[in-house]
Amino acid sequence: MACVPISTGLTPKPLRPERSLWSRRGLVAAALFGPVTMAAAAAGAELLPAEQAFRFSARALDDHTLEARFTIADGYYLYRDKFKFAVTPDGAALGAPELPAGKIKTDEFFGKVETYRGTVAVKLPLSGAAAGQTLVLTADSQGCADVGVCYPPTRQRLTLALPAYGAGPGPVVDATPSRKNWFK
Amino acid sequence: MTRTLVRWVVVAAVALAALAAGIYVSRTGSSNAPVGALLDLALPDIDGHDQRLDQWKGKVLVVNFWATWCEPCRKEMPDFVKAQAEFGGKGLQFVGIAIDQPDKIRQFSKDLKLNYPSLVGGYGALELSKAFGNQLMALPFTLVLDRNGHVAYAQMGPLKPGNLDAIVGKLL
Repeated sequence: MACVPISTGLTPKPLRPERSLWSRRGLVAAALFGPVTMAAAAAGAELLPAEQAFRFSARALDDHTLEARFTIADGYYLYRDKFKFAVTPDGAALGAPELPAGKIKTDEFFGKVETYRGTVAVKLPLSGAAAGQTLVLTADSQGCADVGVCYPPTRQRLTLALPAYGAGPGPVVDATPSRKNWFK
Repeated sequence: MTRTLVRWVVVAAVALAALAAGIYVSRTGSSNAPVGALLDLALPDIDGHDQRLDQWKGKVLVVNFWATWCEPCRKEMPDFVKAQAEFGGKGLQFVGIAIDQPDKIRQFSKDLKLNYPSLVGGYGALELSKAFGNQLMALPFTLVLDRNGHVAYAQMGPLKPGNLDAIVGKLL
């Protein structure tokens, strides 16, 4: 089944630390514009930040396979063709991600697109890494909410240790929020 | 003694008035800062020519942040085309800021027969929308400025056609 990619041409944003939807800047904006922007702020308050709508976690199944997992909140969905994964340090490399089939919908502009809801697990073949080694896994994703808004491409990352040889799958690790400004 | 007291009272009153005025000016200046930053923005159009948003000062300006990869954005844009055609002569001006690639914007603009400019923005442009309440930087996000450059309305998510007409109708 051909799947037309939806390209944004954008570098996804690394996530910022979890914080209140009513950040200090939002409060300042609301205070300055009063009721005018309250409509927008109120709409925003009903939406989850991307990192909460699309929770990223992963585990090492063994020293040559990672499993990335997205837990998608009710009322939200991710695009299948928007995932990108990368691993560091240099020397370790990922093969083509094994993405399960998504729900197909026809988009007027892009044709057939596939989306995920609920939970999606993606197997990532890993090479160049040794048992017991610590890796940083980066995942880019992009999705929308059923209420009629879409999030910019989002980057999340986590650090996980490969299990010792013959030790079985490692523990599930959640994404760690990044403090990095994604404009820099 | 009494004269000295009166003098001090006057000095205190003047100082308080100056403080209040300072706070007022500071707040007024701050409230215009996000609009100023937006209107100072120069972004390329789909032909690569920079366009400053302040060229539409004096009009009722509807700034719509969108992207082709945002289906809800695309769905509401035919209503914008209709509104631009109907009210453009009365001083309504739509401007799109697309967080997208120029070729995608160009193709969609052609498909939709877009009758207003859509500029090529990036995350930096989208970041500006946070100052107007779009903390999640979600799309679509639409901002309506009156003829004096004051924010009349801001909305995250699609605008209902009836709402759009009501909002801009009061300003034209």
